[in-house]
Amino acid sequence: MHELSICNALIEEAQNEVRRSGRTGRIRRIDLTIGRLSGVSCDSLRFAFDLLKPGTDLEDARMAIAEPKATCYCRTCNARVEIDDYVMQCPECFGGNIAIEGGRDLLLESIEIED
Amino acid sequence: MKIIAAKKILKANDQLAEENRAGFNAAGVYCVNVVGSPGAGKTTLLEALFTALKDRLRPAVIEGDIAGSIDAARIEKLGVPVVQINTQGACHLDANMIAAAAADFDLAAIDLLVIENIGNLVCTAGFDLGEHLRIVVLSTAEGDDKAAKYPAIFQGSQALFITKADLLPHLNFNAERITADFKRLAPQSEILQVAAIQGDGIPPAADWLAGKCAATLR
Repeated sequence: MHELSICNALIEEAQNEVRRSGRTGRIRRIDLTIGRLSGVSCDSLRFAFDLLKPGTDLEDARMAIAEPKATCYCRTCNARVEIDDYVMQCPECFGGNIAIEGGRDLLLESIEIED
Repeated sequence: MKIIAAKKILKANDQLAEENRAGFNAAGVYCVNVVGSPGAGKTTLLEALFTALKDRLRPAVIEGDIAGSIDAARIEKLGVPVVQINTQGACHLDANMIAAAAADFDLAAIDLLVIENIGNLVCTAGFDLGEHLRIVVLSTAEGDDKAAKYPAIFQGSQALFITKADLLPHLNFNAERITADFKRLAPQSEILQVAAIQGDGIPPAADWLAGKCAATLR
């Protein structure tokens, strides 16, 4: 969807975190969690990051992304199945009485700074 | 060294949205975020609801569009206060835009603030604006498969308005399919069916919305 504006928010948040820590070293790496159902395309986010990072404290930083799956829980057969995309029925019994859990995180997990 | 942040990337937006909601609560304003495709009938639905609610609620509208003020002019004709946001190409409204637009209203003179979001079934799903209720509007002509194809926007909505119900005899729109898909994504949600131009289904929909306002603000 709007990876450019999400990336802007990310860079701002990372810079704020570093400022709050009182450190001044260069930022080497940031780690993100982007759930499979978050609606954010990791490829587009990487592309946006390369476009936006010059001139910021993240100029030399690398971006690492974990992409956790979501879970489909079926109330009919009790199966719990990991899914990459939204599903409309249980992948095991094809029943419709399901609940989709997780996979929607959009988190800045950690920031690595030069010592 | 490593700094553990564990921060939501859209935290700034979420915080602003919470501030918007707190401001609306303090002023006794019920806020509704209306999303749906371009042409789903969002503005026509609002026109019909506002006409039905004329002597019962004091509404106001924030209109979000890429360009122009066509919808705002339609709302203004009803005597409803309206602020237009032009996003100049951005595909969604965010909480910051809403904070700025809401500041243009006298909130003490409003009971119901409706935000008509940019026509888009994708990007608008990611941004909390500080609303109490999100309504997704889907016209029968768009097809009954839209919840399955654009699940995120349906999952985050608490109500579905099926519009242009008068076209049903001419279409292969299966209301049972969209109902089942929507209930799967949003089990606590409600579904209303209207033909806004003809007025079919509008009186109960207006009662429903007025009831939501009253229940939340009391």
